[in-house]
Amino acid sequence: MTRPAARSTARTGEPWQVAASLVPIGGVLGLMLGGAVLLAVAQSLGFAPWYGINSFPDPSYLAGLWGSKGFWVSVGLTLYYSLAATLLALLLALTTATLLVRSFPGRAVFGALYRLPLVVPYGVGIALAVIMMGNGGLVSRAFAAIGWIDDPSEFPRLLNTHAGWGVIAVYVWKQLPFMVVAIHAVMVGADREQAEAAVVLGASRWDVFRHVTLPQIAPGILSATLICFAFNMGAFEAPFILGGGYPDTLPVLAWRFFNDADYTMQLRGMAVVVSIAALTGALVLAYLAAYRAYERSIGRA
Amino acid sequence: MAGGKDTSSRQPVGPLGRVYLLLVLAFLVGPFLPLLIQSLAFHWVWPDLLPSEWWFTARERARLPQGWDYVISPYSRVGEALLNTVTIGLATALLCLAICLPAARVLATQDFAGKRLVELYLALPLILPEAVIGIALSMVFIRLGLAGTHAGIVLVHLIPTIPYMLRMLIAGFRGLDREVEEQARVLGASNWQVTRLITLPLILPTAMAGALFAFLVSTNLFLLTFLMGQGKIVTLPTLLFSKLSGGALEPTAAGIALAAALPGVAVLLLLDRFAGPHVGTAAGQRA
Amino acid sequence: MIRLARALLVSTLLATTALAQPDTEASRFQADFLDGKLAWETVLETARAEGEVHFFYWGGGDNLNIWMDSVVAPALAELGVTLRANRITGTKDAVDLVLAETAAGKGIGEGSVDAIWLNGENFFTLKQQGQLFGSFAQALPNSVHFEWGQADPRSTLNLRDFGTTTEGMEVPWSGEQYVCVANRALMTLDQTPSDLAGLRAYLEANPGKFAYVKPPHYLGNTFVQQVLYAFNPDGTAASPFQASISELGAEELARLIEPGFAYLRELEPLLLGGPQGATRYPEDGAAADGLFRNSEIHLTCGFGLYAVATKRANGSYPDTAEEIIFPAGSMIKNKSYLAIPANAPNPAAALVLANYMSSVDAQVTRLELVGYPAGIDPWRLSPEDAARLEAAAPPHFGVTAAELDANIAPDTNASLVDVVEAVWLEYIERQSDDPFAAVVARAAAPALATQ
Repeated sequence: MTRPAARSTARTGEPWQVAASLVPIGGVLGLMLGGAVLLAVAQSLGFAPWYGINSFPDPSYLAGLWGSKGFWVSVGLTLYYSLAATLLALLLALTTATLLVRSFPGRAVFGALYRLPLVVPYGVGIALAVIMMGNGGLVSRAFAAIGWIDDPSEFPRLLNTHAGWGVIAVYVWKQLPFMVVAIHAVMVGADREQAEAAVVLGASRWDVFRHVTLPQIAPGILSATLICFAFNMGAFEAPFILGGGYPDTLPVLAWRFFNDADYTMQLRGMAVVVSIAALTGALVLAYLAAYRAYERSIGRA
Repeated sequence: MAGGKDTSSRQPVGPLGRVYLLLVLAFLVGPFLPLLIQSLAFHWVWPDLLPSEWWFTARERARLPQGWDYVISPYSRVGEALLNTVTIGLATALLCLAICLPAARVLATQDFAGKRLVELYLALPLILPEAVIGIALSMVFIRLGLAGTHAGIVLVHLIPTIPYMLRMLIAGFRGLDREVEEQARVLGASNWQVTRLITLPLILPTAMAGALFAFLVSTNLFLLTFLMGQGKIVTLPTLLFSKLSGGALEPTAAGIALAAALPGVAVLLLLDRFAGPHVGTAAGQRA
Repeated sequence: MIRLARALLVSTLLATTALAQPDTEASRFQADFLDGKLAWETVLETARAEGEVHFFYWGGGDNLNIWMDSVVAPALAELGVTLRANRITGTKDAVDLVLAETAAGKGIGEGSVDAIWLNGENFFTLKQQGQLFGSFAQALPNSVHFEWGQADPRSTLNLRDFGTTTEGMEVPWSGEQYVCVANRALMTLDQTPSDLAGLRAYLEANPGKFAYVKPPHYLGNTFVQQVLYAFNPDGTAASPFQASISELGAEELARLIEPGFAYLRELEPLLLGGPQGATRYPEDGAAADGLFRNSEIHLTCGFGLYAVATKRANGSYPDTAEEIIFPAGSMIKNKSYLAIPANAPNPAAALVLANYMSSVDAQVTRLELVGYPAGIDPWRLSPEDAARLEAAAPPHFGVTAAELDANIAPDTNASLVDVVEAVWLEYIERQSDDPFAAVVARAAAPALATQ
């Protein structure tokens, strides 16, 4: 739990001391991250002399991209997968965390095992999705064993469709433990006396949750959902392997452009990449603004 | 643990809740069992619930290594990938720690003009997709000769790990009792002595948790490693990706998936031992 | 202090000049070898001095990887060369790497790719951009294993790669034929189609039971080529497609391929996923194999003359899998090659690799362990070697070698591959409503522009 006392004793540090401490990190991030962003923006505007193309500032790549219908379908798909997965994971995580603070038989086992998806690469999750959810996969075979289907094509197609069940499943699988860890951490630190007082005063469970628990765990929720949403927007592996093909999500679209030997296609790929960053950034800022509004509404900000 | 003072008033979970938790656990961990079976199968197809022929019988009549024999053999490159993954992870974790420690200390305890902006900038990697960083940097790295080298990959792995490490260290520094440091100064210790003998030992548990987290993030990265490695450096995520196709999972691919889960499982075991209560803070901090 | 500085300066100068040398050495080596001034022993010595060779090849086959590491690596080690086998998922990656490095200014001897396993439009791209080492194939000692005489019709695949003249800039390594495999448990002998019309009839009775790999993957491209041959409106099958795009022109090409693409469009709702409303194409051979294995499709096609034998042996195919002769008369047969880029860092080692790969030992062991048909020509070998080769061949299931040999067709011209690919992507994947001729014209524009 953060201690407000430490904050109030913060000194205004000597400038050179502050600078020296921040130089390594600033250097690394500044050069690589800043450099990457600048390069991406420059290339999306036509600056690529090493390819023999220098039409900077050339809005035609971005304009051509934003003017094509396929791009907006990709934007829609990317948003849909990211939002649906983040929301679903959040709902499941809230429920799980609420139960996790209580006692139940096998709690130790649960606690030990549930974080497994958190620590393995996405590729493992994709492998699991393939083995479980494919038409030749285990759920389909279970249906066949029960007698509900007798041909793999009768099993509903879950993978490689634009409905994205496979993609969303992998995201939720990977991010549910992450959100549970985050929310659980703030939940155990939450002040329970207020909640108990509210119950004593006759508030319903839902009111207690909404007006007492939620404000307390809101920072944890914000942080976890922000990180997960931003990650989903830029995720590549799952939509590439489990997605429905053209039109793809934005990162896969960028990849396809980038793999084209034609250099102008690579600049278009940069335009896509810049668009992803801009879109994600805008949504994150909007989310943060909404959160600040929420905090003001509950009288905290 | 704060807030847990009175567990007796927390109701035990009812039957509905227990079923829910069981389903959640089955969803999260259950599918590993079929993965294991597939890695041990020789022929396991629809609609069989168990393999029609296992690897044990087939390997005797096979000329070339099959299934796990292949995965464990040097031909599968799993050993090389595991070594690369772990060394790059360790190097990333240590380097990340080295550059984040001074920065976290300053950000946790001191105020300066533009601090908010700096904090925002340092959290940027969490928002920028890997694709943006990787694709834009790969050209630069090729020209610098860093592409396809371990050093290049460690450098680029720093980007996504720094935010996590920073947040954990900042939380750790904020939680430190400053009075001990003050007392030491009063008693005549120099700044360097204070840092070395007091601050660093106190921050060690959080630092270890941060290092573990950074190691974890690094071992799970795919796109950055793929783009910077140029195929020369194979890690477990890149090896697994090349084996995954959207249709089915061959037994050797299943074996490689399980191998790819190994560093993560190791981290999980270590996390509990060393870093227990700190893990949540990284995720739970305000943005 | 001054002495130290001077020593540093001198050593730096020496170091930089030492670094600069390999370029001129490599250029001289290349010039001398191609002029025929170097004896093979010199090449071997230079290779030993170079010490390693970076070979880029498709690494999706476990058996091939095992053979590469367990047979080729030790054989090259005996010659003093360490094999650095780079497994890639798509040959285009290696080609792109060569082009990118050249664009980044890495000249002769400074690149990172020594040899690539490729054919078709990948070779065409490198040749067109002038990125190849030169005509080395006939200078190799093992070149006697190939038929180079233009008069002999059997030399076609050694001299032309997808219609592009090889000019010895690549040496054949492997032969292949595009074979379709049926699951006899699901498709009986009398149900088996022998041509594409028969396939459509079968799918109308069993909708959704077939899928071909999606272009732009080469397996998909080859299937589409076979369809185009079968539906050639002039009835001349593959012949007109041997011309390049500039010789053919977009209009003529459109006329020739329109019936084939009309067939593919009509077939789409009958393919995997079609009856459920969303046709789904597997992305590569492994995905197609998976679908076949799980009985989602009854028929799968790909390059693999001996695929049924090897995949039955490693559990990839069910025991009821059999080869079929389909489509009759146009099962594409080709060779794939080893090429050496112009900026190969270890050209002598690359030559030694190419020579070893053309040896009888390499070809026989590969045929035995991996099931890839030989790239060398059996009639050029001694009787003992030819017998070894024949004995090493895995068995066929459901067809005979004679039947397979009687139903062959060549690939299209290399310049047409990208055009057909682009047409498929726009006409079939994106369901373009534009007039077909316009789609083809758009697809052909980039290729025509570079002529």
